[in-house]
Amino acid sequence: MSGLTSGLTSGLMSRWRPALRIARRDALRHRGRSILVLVMIALPVLAVSAADVVYLTSDVNSVESLDRRLGAADALVTAQPGAGKVLQDFDPNSGSTSGAGGSDQEATSLAQVRATLGREVPATEWVETQLSVDTDRGVIDIGANELDVSSPLADGLFKLTSGRWPADDAEVTINAALAVKGFALGDDITIHDGKTLTVVGIAESTTSRNWPRAVARPGALGADTQGTHQWLIGGGAVSWSQVQALNAVGALVLSRAVIENPPPDSERPAEIRSWSSGVDESVIAVVVLIVVMALLEVVLLAGPAFAVGTRRQARTLALMAASGGTPRQARRVILAGGLVLGGTAAVLGVVLGIAVGWALLPVVQHFSDSWLGPFEVGPLHLLAVAAFGLLSAFLAAVVPAWLASRQDVVAVLAGRRGDRKPGLRSPMLGLVLVGLGVAASAAGAGQLGGGSTLIAASAIVSVLGMILLVPVVVTTLARLSRRLPLVARYAVRDAARHRTRTVPAVAAVAATVAGVVALGIGNASDAAESEATYQPQLAMGMASVTSYAEEGDDPIDWSAYADAIHRQDPGARVSEVVSYDAPSAGSFVDVELRRPDRPEREMFMQSYSGTFGNLLVGPDMLGLASPVRDGDLDAARRTIQQGGIVVFTDARVDGDRVVVGGTRYSDDGSDDDALEPLQLPAYFLQVRGYGPAMAVVADGVLDPLGLTSSTTGLLLDAHGLSKADEDRIQEELRGLDSNAYLFVERGYQADDATLILLGILFGLGAVLMLGGTLTATFLALSDAKPDLATLSAVGAAPRTRRGVAAAYALVVGAVGALLGAAVGFIPGIAVTYPLTSTTYYASGLDAAGDPLPSHFVDIPWLMIVGLVVVLPLVTSLIVGLTARSRLPLVARLD
Amino acid sequence: MSEATVLHLDQVSRIHGEGATEVHALRSVGFRARAGELVAVMGPSGSGKSTLLTLAGGLDSPTSGAVYVEGTDLSGLGNAGRARMRRTSIGYVFQDFNLIPALTAAENVALPRELDGERSAAARRLARAALAEVGIEDLADRFPDEMSGGQQQRVAIARAIVGDRRLILADEPTGALDTTTGEEILKLLRSRCDAGAAGVLVTHEARHAAWADRVVFLRDGVVVDETGADEVETLVESGHPA
Ligand SMILES: Nc1ncnc2c1ncn2[C@@H]1O[C@H](COP(=O)(O)OP(=O)(O)OP(=O)(O)O)[C@@H](O)[C@H]1O
Ligand SMILES: [Mg+2]
Repeated sequence: MSGLTSGLTSGLMSRWRPALRIARRDALRHRGRSILVLVMIALPVLAVSAADVVYLTSDVNSVESLDRRLGAADALVTAQPGAGKVLQDFDPNSGSTSGAGGSDQEATSLAQVRATLGREVPATEWVETQLSVDTDRGVIDIGANELDVSSPLADGLFKLTSGRWPADDAEVTINAALAVKGFALGDDITIHDGKTLTVVGIAESTTSRNWPRAVARPGALGADTQGTHQWLIGGGAVSWSQVQALNAVGALVLSRAVIENPPPDSERPAEIRSWSSGVDESVIAVVVLIVVMALLEVVLLAGPAFAVGTRRQARTLALMAASGGTPRQARRVILAGGLVLGGTAAVLGVVLGIAVGWALLPVVQHFSDSWLGPFEVGPLHLLAVAAFGLLSAFLAAVVPAWLASRQDVVAVLAGRRGDRKPGLRSPMLGLVLVGLGVAASAAGAGQLGGGSTLIAASAIVSVLGMILLVPVVVTTLARLSRRLPLVARYAVRDAARHRTRTVPAVAAVAATVAGVVALGIGNASDAAESEATYQPQLAMGMASVTSYAEEGDDPIDWSAYADAIHRQDPGARVSEVVSYDAPSAGSFVDVELRRPDRPEREMFMQSYSGTFGNLLVGPDMLGLASPVRDGDLDAARRTIQQGGIVVFTDARVDGDRVVVGGTRYSDDGSDDDALEPLQLPAYFLQVRGYGPAMAVVADGVLDPLGLTSSTTGLLLDAHGLSKADEDRIQEELRGLDSNAYLFVERGYQADDATLILLGILFGLGAVLMLGGTLTATFLALSDAKPDLATLSAVGAAPRTRRGVAAAYALVVGAVGALLGAAVGFIPGIAVTYPLTSTTYYASGLDAAGDPLPSHFVDIPWLMIVGLVVVLPLVTSLIVGLTARSRLPLVARLD
Repeated sequence: MSEATVLHLDQVSRIHGEGATEVHALRSVGFRARAGELVAVMGPSGSGKSTLLTLAGGLDSPTSGAVYVEGTDLSGLGNAGRARMRRTSIGYVFQDFNLIPALTAAENVALPRELDGERSAAARRLARAALAEVGIEDLADRFPDEMSGGQQQRVAIARAIVGDRRLILADEPTGALDTTTGEEILKLLRSRCDAGAAGVLVTHEARHAAWADRVVFLRDGVVVDETGADEVETLVESGHPA
């Protein structure tokens, strides 16, 4: 048996050994080309390896985080109000249920916990909640901890970086994130509506760093946990069965022993298990898509180098064939090249990737909220990444190898350079694939909701089809090149003659551009939809301040709020918003509007804000609305001044009179009271989408209905108010009233993340295009040495080489970009259907009250022109400027 | 001495490499080729024949001495200037044709003119005339791959003469051709010289040398013998021991 295996291996080895030897020698002899392939393959391997190291290190898993969450304790027991059995995962943070019963029921006590465990365990309570503290400007929320840090159980939860721990209940430590809010050692810090403590130390939580936090002795902060208790427990391991016993009395347990040695998966409560079943199918689809595209891109980028290498060996291979070698042997020599270079690149990439990942950790920590875990390397992940590198090199060598095995021996020995004439079969297949891609994209577009995966898959099919069409495009271009200037004509024809080198490079550029264009269209369309369906809540540039009084509080003093605003912005134009139907003690009013000729109540607005009330008072309130036509405002203002009513509407409404009526309901449901209807002259003001209220009248107009007016908020002219001003005012207001809320209408704001994403996409596209173009160009130049020597002999100036290089780069870049953009449109436009479908919008109207289109297509022309025109030109320029301008000599060629 | 000297090598030496690997490809060689004259250069392999041609074409520079083409010192021109000379005054023909496979016959011939900045239509017209002169006007739109060796060499000669260049340098132009085809190529060169150009022909075969007005023999980078006109002058210039 072992004899058979070793026979097989030795047979395999003896067949491959000569090929591998030739490949290794060849790689060493043609260093430039080998380094090119190494870089093409090692770079992505390096990037992914480094990302993996950073990810694994920053991802703190349950076991790694135990000391941060438990300190030196064996378990953390959390008892929430509400009785009865709870369920939990091994780590309660991964999934748990809360107990039955109401919040008025007592939580499990420490005594019960001890009784359940059946032993007298040491325990210390750890209160963890949220509190507000006063700052110079107002109020901020902080994480509040009450804990006896001297308890050995709490060891490792917090790290003192300066000062000392609190010695009594008047002292507190804070973290750096809270210190930057204006607190230093020795300062006083005041809990909002609470006591004042002295800062005696700076201490960091070992779990998170950016959230402001304070730690004090038990009870020192006066924190209210609303019945929840949390204890650190020592005295030995808490087993899974003990955890379940504690669950049965309503306590959740994070047990060190359970996390470190988890019981079999079947022990997890079925209900919890059902939550975390499997990975989302679309996530898998996206991962597969990314891996396939990356593989394709790497193969295409490395492909030209193998194509050139193959041609260099063409003579050797032809001589092999002439002396009786089989096509298979020829193929093996080229494939071995892929294995040697791919293997080297994979190892290099992974090793350097680990180093780069390690070097990046401090940078990542700087931007991260939480503390990174211990340095971690995933051997299995890295093995997969390395395999990816090896596979891509092998695949890049496959086509050249196949061509080498069926090369025209006569042509090669006769010294003819260039590839065979292209066949018709693969372009036909290409057309079929592109057709399939279009069809699948269309199908995906028609499919509501779930079509994105299909469209993504169709994108790969289209790109593959396009790759098969590249040779035809390049050949056609060469046929049409008669009228081009010399260097361009030469570049196009040469590109067409050496298709094995040109096609992968063009395809690499095209695939990149296709991806960027598709994502760009999707992204821009998404943004267009967000913009079109944006519902302003106030007139542009206006701001509102609202709040609500809690039961038992005094009525809100709005003038104090206005003062607070003026303290931050002395020139601010603030007015009080007065409403006729603010709920008053014991009753509320449901106001109805209709036109005199209609019997039923009418809704003139699909949706409107009731924050300030439904019926507002005073012409200033028109400033809350965003009228469709600006001129309407004057007419509306006149109507109010003449004692009429202005009714907001999102459609065009005819009529000039409105009947106001309604019902007064009392809170106890005793006597409902219909109001005596009142007819008023009316003006229908068409507004964008979302209305601030139902209507506006002048003060006193609705008194005959028995209604009274009162202030319900503030209106602030926020033109020229920056985001920072807004934050300052908000902080100031929160100092008065934690329910105060400032809203500034700034209109549709393009998401920063979207712009950044587009920028990154464009940058990535540029880098890949530059990479693909440079590779192809410099390989072409080294291939074109004899031609350049001839050019020199007939009197070409040295800069001709630059011209040839630039022209070649332009051909590869522009053809690739054009094809790619064309192909990118297919999935790009298709994906706008599922992405921006407006069938979900109830109103089907946009902000101007016009019907919405069924979906949005916005094509980012600027980006596409940049990709298709500017980038190839710039690349060509760079190539032209960096290419050597020395022509080789005929006499030195051999 | 009635005809003007087109090519003049004055005490030209060319040393390749340095120190132990130093090779004296040419040693103080004097050489002239006049308008209307075809000079054959013969000698054993490695004697410096190709070196002499590359120096004459300005593709390489002498270690010492000077090369004059139509009275202009090539070393005083710089790279760009020498390239211009190759476009306008000097034509090259190689053993292995050296056509650019991506260009058609006419485009290959038009190269020097196009590189010189001439419009491609005009350059093509000149190219067709040159192709007609070498007898293959009908192959103008073929690519090199689609032509026989003799046809390719005719294209190369057409490229060397296009634009009325006065110095034609041919390095074993018949080496890759059969006897009859080779003879036809030489006939072409001869007639070009009769029309007023100066020609330098490097060849191995005495039979081909018969087409030349005189023959210069090289051995180890030194002119060792010369037949034909102006023998004495050349021998004196070459420093050949009398
Ligand atoms: N680039 C170079 N570097 C070093 N030595 C060179 C170089 N080019 C030529 N030589 C040497 O100069 C000498 C003359 O070479 P050259 O090519 O002129 O010979 P040749 O007469 O043309 O020979 P053949 O008949 O074989 O073509 C040779 O010894 C050759 O090895
Ligand atoms: Mg020679």
